[in-house]
Amino acid sequence: MAGGSVSECKEYLFKVLVIGELGVGKTSIIKRYVHQLFSQHYRATIGVDFALKVINWDSKTLVRLQLWDIAGQERFGNMTRVYYKEAVGAFVVFDVTRGSTFEAVSKWKHDLDSKVKLANGSPIPSVLLANKCDQKREGSNNTSLMDNFCKETGFLGWFETSAKDNINVDEAARFLVENILLNDKGLPYEESNGERIKLDQETVAAESKSGCC
Amino acid sequence: MYPKQIATSLDNVITIRNVNIFLKLGLSESVIAAACSRVGQRVLHVDRRSYYAGNWASFTFNGLLSWIEEYKQAGPSDEAAQEKVEEGEEALALSSLDTSITNVEVFCYASEEPEEVEEGVKDGAAAAWSVPQTPDSEGEVERCLLESSSVEEEEAVLAGDEVAQASGPDAGAEETQPEGEVPPQAYETQGEWQDEQQASPSPAESQPEPKKQITYTKIVKEGRRFNIDLVSKLMYSRGSLVDLLIKSNVSRYAEFKNVTRILTYRNGKVEQVPCSRADVFGSKQLTVVEKRMLMKFLTFCLDFEQHPEEYQDFSVHSFWDFLLTKKLTENLRHFILHSIAMVTPDVCTVEGLRATQHFLRCLGRYGNTPFLFPLYGLGEIPQCFCRMCAVFGGIYCLRQSVRCLVLDKESGKCKAVIDSNGQRISCSHFVVEDGYIGLDQRKNVDSRQISRAVLITDRSILPSDSEQQISLVTVPPVEPGSPVVRMVELCSSTMTCMPGTYLVHLTCSSSGSAREDLAPVVSRLFCIPVSPGEESKEGEEGSEVPSVLWALYFNMRDTSAVDRSSYDLPSNVHVCTSPDAALGSDHAIKLAEAVFRQLLPEEEFCPPAPNPEDIIYDGEGPQGEGPGFEEADPAEALPSQGEVESAERQEEAEDAGETGDVAKQETVAVAENEPRPASEE
Ligand SMILES: Cc1cc2nc3c(=O)[nH]c(=O)nc-3n(C[C@H](O)[C@H](O)[C@H](O)COP(=O)(O)OP(=O)(O)OC[C@H]3O[C@@H](n4cnc5c(N)ncnc54)[C@H](O)[C@@H]3O)c2cc1C
Ligand SMILES: Nc1nc2c(ncn2[C@@H]2O[C@H](COP(=O)(O)OP(=O)(O)OP(=O)(O)O)[C@@H](O)[C@H]2O)c(=O)[nH]1
Ligand SMILES: [Mg+2]
Repeated sequence: MAGGSVSECKEYLFKVLVIGELGVGKTSIIKRYVHQLFSQHYRATIGVDFALKVINWDSKTLVRLQLWDIAGQERFGNMTRVYYKEAVGAFVVFDVTRGSTFEAVSKWKHDLDSKVKLANGSPIPSVLLANKCDQKREGSNNTSLMDNFCKETGFLGWFETSAKDNINVDEAARFLVENILLNDKGLPYEESNGERIKLDQETVAAESKSGCC
Repeated sequence: MYPKQIATSLDNVITIRNVNIFLKLGLSESVIAAACSRVGQRVLHVDRRSYYAGNWASFTFNGLLSWIEEYKQAGPSDEAAQEKVEEGEEALALSSLDTSITNVEVFCYASEEPEEVEEGVKDGAAAAWSVPQTPDSEGEVERCLLESSSVEEEEAVLAGDEVAQASGPDAGAEETQPEGEVPPQAYETQGEWQDEQQASPSPAESQPEPKKQITYTKIVKEGRRFNIDLVSKLMYSRGSLVDLLIKSNVSRYAEFKNVTRILTYRNGKVEQVPCSRADVFGSKQLTVVEKRMLMKFLTFCLDFEQHPEEYQDFSVHSFWDFLLTKKLTENLRHFILHSIAMVTPDVCTVEGLRATQHFLRCLGRYGNTPFLFPLYGLGEIPQCFCRMCAVFGGIYCLRQSVRCLVLDKESGKCKAVIDSNGQRISCSHFVVEDGYIGLDQRKNVDSRQISRAVLITDRSILPSDSEQQISLVTVPPVEPGSPVVRMVELCSSTMTCMPGTYLVHLTCSSSGSAREDLAPVVSRLFCIPVSPGEESKEGEEGSEVPSVLWALYFNMRDTSAVDRSSYDLPSNVHVCTSPDAALGSDHAIKLAEAVFRQLLPEEEFCPPAPNPEDIIYDGEGPQGEGPGFEEADPAEALPSQGEVESAERQEEAEDAGETGDVAKQETVAVAENEPRPASEE
């Protein structure tokens, strides 16, 4: 999903998945990160596909981050391939106040790795988010335990986040994007694939050449 | 682990009343489900399979092997259970045996010798297909197909896996193009047919590049790079499917490639068909006179209605007869009939003209041929509609089945269904694929079939300067009485096959089994190694012919011509037919729209989904100081993530429905349940 380069400024489009059990705060994290909003009301996510965050990464790099939330079907564990297709990074979210959502992390990670891979066949970079840390009970999460868990499960790292108090959300995103950019360097993948067509963009080039008579 | 999890989930689903239930996830069903969900209907989509898209599915290579195994072992699976129904109700059993796929035959010609084990290459395909199988049973599938392959070999592959998992993202980077394999060609502007390229490249000129053989082991290892469709179709760039994808915004989920060439098989040779103006003028096969003839004829076809005098005398004659009276050479008649109109000689003149016109009108919208092909295969399209359905709240349950319908004796309507666990789910409408309808509910039986073959080959049927060609090949009857065969050759940049191979789909209306119908064409156009792994006869004549590495034949039932009136079913049960043999998908889309109109006559069919950028969040102020932490208020809990349009329509829908409140509360109940991870049994 890497974008083209315009002389000096490089532009990237990255598709990033946000997965995890019901109600762990996926939508809240996206809303916080993209719209600087937080709401206490819980609403199961409907009608929202992905949110776009534009990051001026540095003077030469513009990153468009497409954050794909999950929808109704997913809580039943059957995501369409359309959701996973060509993702280059993922957040797996759990809720620190509900142990069962942490137990499900491995399942989500496993599902992720089986359904999407980088062009070279390796798993896409993913980061674990321990959300709702504003409600954390003292001494619950053990740092070295979590570090070990990440190593074993193949996460690049983990962050304690709060969508409510805006803790670590930007940091986690920055960390993931750094890693995505790192991967992108080594992969001149798109180039070999020729041009792809989006239906809402009719090609002008083709028009001039063909169109019988 | 998975089936159990799904079963748990379905318990939750059951608390949702008055859903519209969809059985089997083919294209029509997916479109209707997306359309219903989009306008606020509750949708539950169920399939017994563990994958999306039903007979429209596409598989990784290893996924396809499992699919083949399933059909080889197919047999009655459900014993007829005594259904519990209440007074005034009656049960109507669904057919539990899917007989839509028959005559499955597999041939492997690639050598089975293991290559040196390459570290870091992942055999991800087996895992990518989420069948609840242990590695052991996967091994079994492989083993039965790969009879001679040894256990050690399996382990070698598996060991490779672990290496890949353990090493970081940069390990194996160079493995995408293992040594000796033909690298995917550098970026080529497709359709850039300069004069010198236009000449059909003669085999003598094309360099016999030193090619490393592609072994079966390699295909399995790279299996995840394949996306093999059960149905082979192309999309007319101005057809109803493309129009619907654009109108509904579902197109945002997919990307496409233009078909780059139209080829035809004639006099024992594969030739390119000139179809656009540029092609015609650039063509070296055509004489100057022919070029003029063809241009004149195509120009006429483009707006033939304006010139009735040209064809009205032929209204009762066939298109072929009409072509014979036009000043056209035999060459040109072949091109027009088989490759442009793509009709049989006996269709009437107007139909032939209309087909030609449609082809011409589709030219140039996105490229030099009228056709598009979705990246990752056609199976992507139903999934795109499923995603849209899910985004608007549709619920998907794979690996679940429906045993029977519960009919209300008085109204004769279907009021609920009973699932494979014996649980009852109320519904207001039920949409089902034809294959589930038992013989008792049919007034007549139509036994049309489609014959299909899928080949993995080692080079293109017509080598050219670019390896990345997508070709439609029309093959007229190779012998009198044999079928017209349509062939689509896909290159690796369509994301349907591994680099260095081509995926070839053959399709025709059946007269016999798929192999009887299609093997004669395969043997004329391809080299079938006598013994597995045999080198294609280098240097001999015919060395330019692609070798078949692997072949699959099967028949699929075609119920597209079956009419609603031929079923004896309640009025709120709607039947969708299976994929038809045609090149486009118009039939499935028209059917979907017709069913939707019956279901919800007042509603708009697939209005555009809002762009994510346009969504306005209804947050309570920017700083998270919302009202105290109240648990989801039932009145507000119904999903409406503050999205411009759907928020309003959701409210309307709630106000309107009398059962709305019950449904709302129960949805909350679902949401508040501690979700149970699969591992927690
Ligand atoms: C460990 C394991 C657990 C499984 N658990 C489940 C499970 O809990 N529930 C489940 O449904 N499958 C489950 N399956 C899958 C199931 O056992 C079969 O593998 C699968 O249904 C295909 O069976 P078949 O080849 O006999 O095809 P057929 O029985 O011929 O069916 C083929 C097609 O018919 C469809 N079909 C037929 N009748 C119905 C119906 N009444 N309702 C819905 N679809 C129908 C299926 O979608 C499928 O597309 C499980 C498989 C495994 C390996
Ligand atoms: N205290 C606290 N509450 C949070 C935080 N993040 C989310 N929540 C609350 O948790 C609930 C669920 O949040 P959502 O963002 O809707 O969760 P989700 O994962 O998107 O849920 P689904 O879409 O249903 O899967 C809401 O009531 C949020 O207000 C957080 O960091 N701290
Ligand atoms: Mg959400």
